[in-house]
Amino acid sequence: MRKSLIILLVLLLTAGLVFAGGKKEAGKIVLMTAGDTNMLAIQQNVLGPQFAAKNPGTGLISVHTGPGNAGSQRIYEKLLAESESKKEVWDIDVAIVHEIFMKWAMDKDLLLPYAKENDSWKYVTSPFAKNTLGVNIEGYAIPMFHSQTAIAYNPQFVKNPPKTYAELEKWVKENPGKFGYNGVKGGASGVSFVVGWVYWKTGRYDKLAITGPVEQSEIASWEGAYKALEDFNQNVTYTAGNVGTLDALNRGEIWMGPVWVDMFFTFMKEGKLNPETRMILPDPGMPGQPMYYVIPKKAANPELAKKYIAYATSPEVQGKEIVEKFNWYPGIDGSFLEGKVPPEVYKKIYSDVTPADLQKKGLSFPLADYHTAMLESYEKWVRK
Amino acid sequence: MSDSVIGRKGAVRLPSYVFLLFPAVAFILIMYAYPFILSFVKSFELDGAFSTANYKKAVDLYYKDITFTFLVTLFNSTLATLLGVLLSVYFRLNDSFISRTLIKLYRIPIFIPFVVVAQMMNSFLAPHGILNLFLGKVGLVNLDNPLQLFNFAGLSFGFAWKLIPFTVMIIFGGFQMIDNSYIEAARSAGAKLHQIIIKILIPMNSSSILVALVLVYSQIVGTFTLPYMLIGGKIPTTITVDIAHRVNYYRDFGVANALGVFSYIMVIVTAVYYLKMNMRDAKISHPQG
Repeated sequence: MRKSLIILLVLLLTAGLVFAGGKKEAGKIVLMTAGDTNMLAIQQNVLGPQFAAKNPGTGLISVHTGPGNAGSQRIYEKLLAESESKKEVWDIDVAIVHEIFMKWAMDKDLLLPYAKENDSWKYVTSPFAKNTLGVNIEGYAIPMFHSQTAIAYNPQFVKNPPKTYAELEKWVKENPGKFGYNGVKGGASGVSFVVGWVYWKTGRYDKLAITGPVEQSEIASWEGAYKALEDFNQNVTYTAGNVGTLDALNRGEIWMGPVWVDMFFTFMKEGKLNPETRMILPDPGMPGQPMYYVIPKKAANPELAKKYIAYATSPEVQGKEIVEKFNWYPGIDGSFLEGKVPPEVYKKIYSDVTPADLQKKGLSFPLADYHTAMLESYEKWVRK
Repeated sequence: MSDSVIGRKGAVRLPSYVFLLFPAVAFILIMYAYPFILSFVKSFELDGAFSTANYKKAVDLYYKDITFTFLVTLFNSTLATLLGVLLSVYFRLNDSFISRTLIKLYRIPIFIPFVVVAQMMNSFLAPHGILNLFLGKVGLVNLDNPLQLFNFAGLSFGFAWKLIPFTVMIIFGGFQMIDNSYIEAARSAGAKLHQIIIKILIPMNSSSILVALVLVYSQIVGTFTLPYMLIGGKIPTTITVDIAHRVNYYRDFGVANALGVFSYIMVIVTAVYYLKMNMRDAKISHPQG
């Protein structure tokens, strides 16, 4: 017993010494991803092995930093630390990040301008690849996928789903407790609903999300919009997070609620959501967001990193893995996917929320300063 | 004048045991004291200058949450300690098949992490969760208007489930150290059960009961997962959820630190008490030291 303990200790110590060096093997890409566990799954179990099979001698080491902005923030802090300590070669080759990361990283000049010379740049048409939250990022990032929020509803109880935010407001008054969302502190589907609410009430989407300028008087003018939201909330059921809303829909506790489209389809596929559930994107629209592939400025293997991203954003991979398997909207232009995705998959993904809907009502999150102000205004004015 | 401290050659002579203490003290200073002090200092900083704006904002936006956190903590630590005492008394005085089985089982929740507890409570307490469905089947609850438990009540249930075993572990341990002869003596002098509990068991074990109370109290103040997963974006919510929100969405460490200071204030009273008690115990066991 004691002998085996000693052997175990020696083994642990040796392992510690071996790995403590942290010397990187050539040909291994170190990838850090923010987002939910599906983000790790696709890199670690799908794209990494596929890429390694096509390029013998290479491999992927993936690290997961966690969901939401917090996950992106961890990547940002890692890069910032490496930059500030003046390291010549940084640890991470590829990172997958949220929109807000781009603002932080561009401010501190942490990224390599790789995108325009990348093989897959020719497939990229999304405006999100040029500008995100009001920051010009053209050339620094390629979208991995696009994610959209919409209102999911149970057609058994909701025969005529509200087509606009105004109709929704009325519906909630008539059906207290049957609309559920997670506020602004419980995940981004709730944030997205609130942002859409402000776009609707102000009617100034262009100013808030595209052109600016950022003005204090603009922010001060939202009080009415938020007071109306406070009233609205009195007839709402709060759910426990993004997943909480889907669970509550599935259990029939609520009949309607904002969800991420990709999570909706994944839950559906895994049998965790009532198959009757449908979606609608109400007027004037709700925000969505991409996640981006970026390469840190002093990545150890920039060439291999570019090759990996080119592979991951090729029409084949985008069609088969991103759309078909993981139910996201593609990061590259959808027209290049024709023939790469079975028609029934295409139909399923675009049946409730049509490409035309997405074009017109798939909005962007507001400029970074307005985004912060919208979240803080919620805490300031929605007090009940 | 200072000859006694500084040696002839002018070098400071420290007692040799200081070197033995050094690793432990350095570790505590670097890993605990430094971040703690830093978070306090940073809470008074805005754009590099001294300011109380962080506190103003913290109180402005979150006074409800601060009060809520305090009430949740106070209520639940009292509840967990009270029920902990009652269960421990039962375990101590009752020797039956049921109590013996319970003694074997009660520790399980201590080893289940809060995140798992939170997920369990989520499906157990939801409006159409296990509890409501059960009550619905029995006819006690109308499922169109079920019990809403994602609030103070549900949170308390979760804390109770997780923390009562913890208080029992500490308090029951103390009860076991009380010799049977005290209880038997009281009984033969005609003491009733409640008299044995109030006059013998609890006073003889007061220090471990207070330790349990202090430890549970400071655990609840700092718990993030359970309130985040159970009540998340509701109003009010706990400080820990607000701190995470300030950091994740605004990268605003100033207000987050200020909120942190509020939680320090909540625990500091108990922490000071706990330290004092430890020192008193140390003095009792080593009167010369």
